Amino acid sequence: MGEEITAEAVLAELDAILTEVVGDDLLLDGPLAMDTSFDEDLQLESIEFVALAEKLLITYGERVDFVAWMATMELDDIIALTVGQVVDFVVESLAAVPGGG
Amino acid sequence: MPHVQANGLSFHVQELRGGPSEGTSNGSSDSPAAVARPKVVMLHGLVIDNLSSWYYTIAHPMALEADVHLYDLRGHGRTEQPASGYSVDENVDDLVALLDHWGIDEPVHLFGNSFGGVVSLAMAHRHPERVASLFLIEAHFAVEGWGEHMAGSLALAAFGLDEDAVQDWLAENADRKLSRLAKRSERFLMETSLIDDLQAEKPIDWLAEIACPTFAIYGSESDILDRARELEAKVPGCELEIVPGSSHSLLTEESNLIRERALAWIARTQRG
Repeated sequence: MGEEITAEAVLAELDAILTEVVGDDLLLDGPLAMDTSFDEDLQLESIEFVALAEKLLITYGERVDFVAWMATMELDDIIALTVGQVVDFVVESLAAVPGGG
Repeated sequence: MPHVQANGLSFHVQELRGGPSEGTSNGSSDSPAAVARPKVVMLHGLVIDNLSSWYYTIAHPMALEADVHLYDLRGHGRTEQPASGYSVDENVDDLVALLDHWGIDEPVHLFGNSFGGVVSLAMAHRHPERVASLFLIEAHFAVEGWGEHMAGSLALAAFGLDEDAVQDWLAENADRKLSRLAKRSERFLMETSLIDDLQAEKPIDWLAEIACPTFAIYGSESDILDRARELEAKVPGCELEIVPGSSHSLLTEESNLIRERALAWIARTQRG
């Protein structure tokens, strides 16, 4: 009885993690959206993105193969990452595991 | 496990390990677990740098082939910032304590960028039995006059950062990242012994004693190209590559090239 994890649920989780990592210093007008970018919009420091990714992995576990995903990206791709790309990746990873959960 | 206690400080660490999962069947009769994965530790540069420069460039592709250990050097990133203790030797002591913490007693491949390069070299000199190879990017080590040069440029960087006008300008004109970086750098340079400790470093006179395979890569426009020549001349068997048109920021300017070289280096040195 695999529970479907929706993009909305992952987005909400990411929002909570961001607040945890960045705290009051979070730059955001309005709600976190799929097209919000970590660098340009949120002005996240790279070390903060590292912390965010780590918390995401703790939340979703090894089914989300973040290392393999990041390995496909070049520096510019990582800098240009949006919230939506991360959310979609998590949702796809969890959906791809048969009987996972 | 983002923070570990080592050598009396709390270090921010990241351990990356990718590659085929155990359940993957590829028809090979060799158990993947039986193949020892190389251990890689990456050391970043000074003040404005931290482990994220590896995390954003070569750490993940490397983690498909090796167990990759990243950490923020003392005073940097999310590691504790003590008031003093920023000599190369104390940084080597940190690395030893972290290797012990991770339970790594086999020789590791050290990747050093800029100041991380001199810490890697010093580790290979003091503890040759724990280092399998050195991959040095723009390694910045003490030569005659280093103290004045290094301290001079850092002092220059610190100069004025605490001025109200500068802070006002940063608050108004700089983006969030830049203001935070400037604030943290100012604190680091003004409130710790970093500059004094670096100024006190003696020129290195033991490069000829480095016994492990060593690869050094520099940009042709680097301000420390003399270090490249010195490594090539003194470190036995040192392989040197000069990348045309690149500066001291080689790792981020040429991250794809560095990635290729790094993966090839590990494959080659691991074959031994």
